[in-house]
Amino acid sequence: MPGLRAALPAALLLLSSFPPAAAERLPWPQVPGVMHPLNPSHREAVWAAWTALHYINSHEASPSRPLALHKVVKAAAKMIPRLGWKYYVHCTTEGYIHGENAGSCFATVLYLKKSPPVVHGKCVHAQNKKQIQEEDHRFYEYLQHQKKPITANYIPDSNGNIAHDHLQLWGLAIVGSSYIMWKQSTEHTGYLLAQVSSVKQQIRKDNAVAFKFIVLLHEIPTQQMNVCHMYLVWTLGHPIRVKYSCAPDNHGLEDGSGQDSGSAAGTSHETKGNF
Amino acid sequence: MGQRFGTAQCPTLPTQMCQGLIWGTLPHILRPLGAAFKLSAFIWSFELLWIQRVLTVLDNLPLDLHCNCGLILESGLLLSLVGVTRLVLLVFGSCRAVLLATESPFTSTMKLILIFSALFGAALCLETFVGHQVLRIKTRNEEQLKKLRFLETLDHLELDFWLNPSTPALPVDVRIPAHSLQAVKIFLESHGIEYSILIEDLQVILDREKQDIVASQQMERSSSTFNYGTYHSLASIYQELDNLASEYGNIVSKIQIGESYEKRPLYVLKFSTGRGNRPAIWLDAGIHSREWVTQASAMWIAKKIASDYGNDPSITSLLNNLDIFLLPVANPDGYEFTHTTNRMWRKTRSKNSGSLCIGVDPNRNWDAGFGGPGASSNPCSDSYHGPRANSEVEVKSVVDFIKNHGNIQAFLTLHSYSQLLMYPYGYKCTPPADNAELNTIGKAAANSIRSLYGTTYTVGSICSTIYQASGGSIDWSYDYGIKYSFAFELRDTGRYGFLLPAAQIIPTAEETWLGLKTIMEYVRDNPY
Repeated sequence: MPGLRAALPAALLLLSSFPPAAAERLPWPQVPGVMHPLNPSHREAVWAAWTALHYINSHEASPSRPLALHKVVKAAAKMIPRLGWKYYVHCTTEGYIHGENAGSCFATVLYLKKSPPVVHGKCVHAQNKKQIQEEDHRFYEYLQHQKKPITANYIPDSNGNIAHDHLQLWGLAIVGSSYIMWKQSTEHTGYLLAQVSSVKQQIRKDNAVAFKFIVLLHEIPTQQMNVCHMYLVWTLGHPIRVKYSCAPDNHGLEDGSGQDSGSAAGTSHETKGNF
Repeated sequence: MGQRFGTAQCPTLPTQMCQGLIWGTLPHILRPLGAAFKLSAFIWSFELLWIQRVLTVLDNLPLDLHCNCGLILESGLLLSLVGVTRLVLLVFGSCRAVLLATESPFTSTMKLILIFSALFGAALCLETFVGHQVLRIKTRNEEQLKKLRFLETLDHLELDFWLNPSTPALPVDVRIPAHSLQAVKIFLESHGIEYSILIEDLQVILDREKQDIVASQQMERSSSTFNYGTYHSLASIYQELDNLASEYGNIVSKIQIGESYEKRPLYVLKFSTGRGNRPAIWLDAGIHSREWVTQASAMWIAKKIASDYGNDPSITSLLNNLDIFLLPVANPDGYEFTHTTNRMWRKTRSKNSGSLCIGVDPNRNWDAGFGGPGASSNPCSDSYHGPRANSEVEVKSVVDFIKNHGNIQAFLTLHSYSQLLMYPYGYKCTPPADNAELNTIGKAAANSIRSLYGTTYTVGSICSTIYQASGGSIDWSYDYGIKYSFAFELRDTGRYGFLLPAAQIIPTAEETWLGLKTIMEYVRDNPY
């Protein structure tokens, strides 16, 4: 990204320049252009970091090694007139699948009123980039050579278990869901992937690999579970492409009778990501 | 301790065992002789004599026989061993017949007896360590070290070096059999070599060790039906509550404080060592049914409290001053639903009039800023606060219990996930009057949690740490007058979320317990 090179050093300079003072609590004085330090363990900082990681996971990370938030190191926010609040975050990351130390990221997150948040992020990876690319390559080839479409349900299962064969599928689901979660995130609403309800491979004639997912996204702070139908296309070396449709999981509507197979898919409505 | 014995050698059989073997094989030698001389009466009287001899042998047997390879023998085994010897010899009488073709009867029998005795001797490998001492020898120079190396070469002393002589700077540990003790001590003293007695009588330590192992095996057996490291059904949990109340009946009792919407009992375990209404601590889990690690942790904690009383000084002192009330499944209808139908169900299962949607968020239903920000008025929402405060019977039952008890000093509740330790308020973002004290306690508890596996918790008020949320339980308890009100959000921070792998249950419970204990100890020491 062109603006990145200029923006990032500036952000770093700003972040490092203020003293670790106590953060002001909401509502902050809405003075535009003034950088407000945030308590790194408070929710605004944490959610801004997650929003950034959702973006990074879906646009830059590889399905083999998606990232999860480890800890926010430093954070600040600034009011951009007529646009919204822009968050500056420095966080450490861990591997989503195995929990290993994955390095750190610097990111800015600008929450807009009617569009997805604008994220610029740069990560320093603790892992060998070449090794990750090779893993992607191997996984991709494995998927391409499937004669029978791969299917699976409930990753992780109710007890938190994931079959070894499903770990990479989980990674793919994380990357795809991250796209949805980034798009839906606002300053006050965040998301985390709760569970992959089902995954079905779609065999394609071209080079790409495609899957139909049903994923459950945990919405915070409403605590709602959103059921998202996600169609994901992956071409090696390119960012994944996602089409999706989400609806709140309203099991209550069926009033507990005649429930089919306990799947959270239930009766999903075709509303386009409108909560 | 056990691993040290790897270096010991198998000594000779004790006299009693030799006798047993000999007496076991003698009838088989004498039988053919008696038959040859037609002395059947002789044979039978000998049999009687044999039985009497075996019984005497058993009477005199030291009760602390230990095998070098592990702790095994009891008298019964010895008896059967001798019997087996005889049986084997009878069975292999046919071998004798074969040998008879080539050798004289006498030599073939003797050969068999010798072979079997040798085999049994090797297999048994018995020894006893009565009177053995372990000395720690400190040499001052190379000269003294040389003397110790000389000792090493004297096989008849049967010394067992646990730390061999190497340099004067390092101590030498050696096990000395009773018969060599005097000689070795005289040797050391005469050469001015310093030593101290590490172990006065090795056998005593081994006996104690054996007792510990038996005790722990018994404990495993009694609780082997409930695995604290997996997630359980409601029925299984309720069964284990009964088991705990029965196994630790002196301090644990099960109370029913009410019924859920679908008429499931709400069970509380009372941990108490005294009578009357002592000051007490309240702890609940599973108010949000999908947070499975909380119910699972509560069960482990229940077991921990019960079994630690009388063994752990802190818990013992805690229960000698306070009672603990533990509600492991605060929302049983929801919990059952997460097992049968929807793993992600959070609320109660009550019907909402005028809506097809079911359930109320039980942690938005308490009478603290009820209906305010952070709770939804939509019955279909997962944070629906309900038609009015305490509308949910699950909530009302707890409120009534706490009010009726009248002496609850702390209110603690478990949720997941996020790794947070929070105090009031949630319904407003202004700090409580006891903010500083609660923050200090919280930080101390978080440190205790971190001390075990490095798991970090964020400490703060609900509003600042997680989000503004009205109608929460610890806000109600605090405003009701229970100063020490805390809410935990357990592991993890989002990768598995509600679906925390079962392998993490016990580590989570262990570290959470340390945090809870820190708070409980503070409550014990700071009554108000």
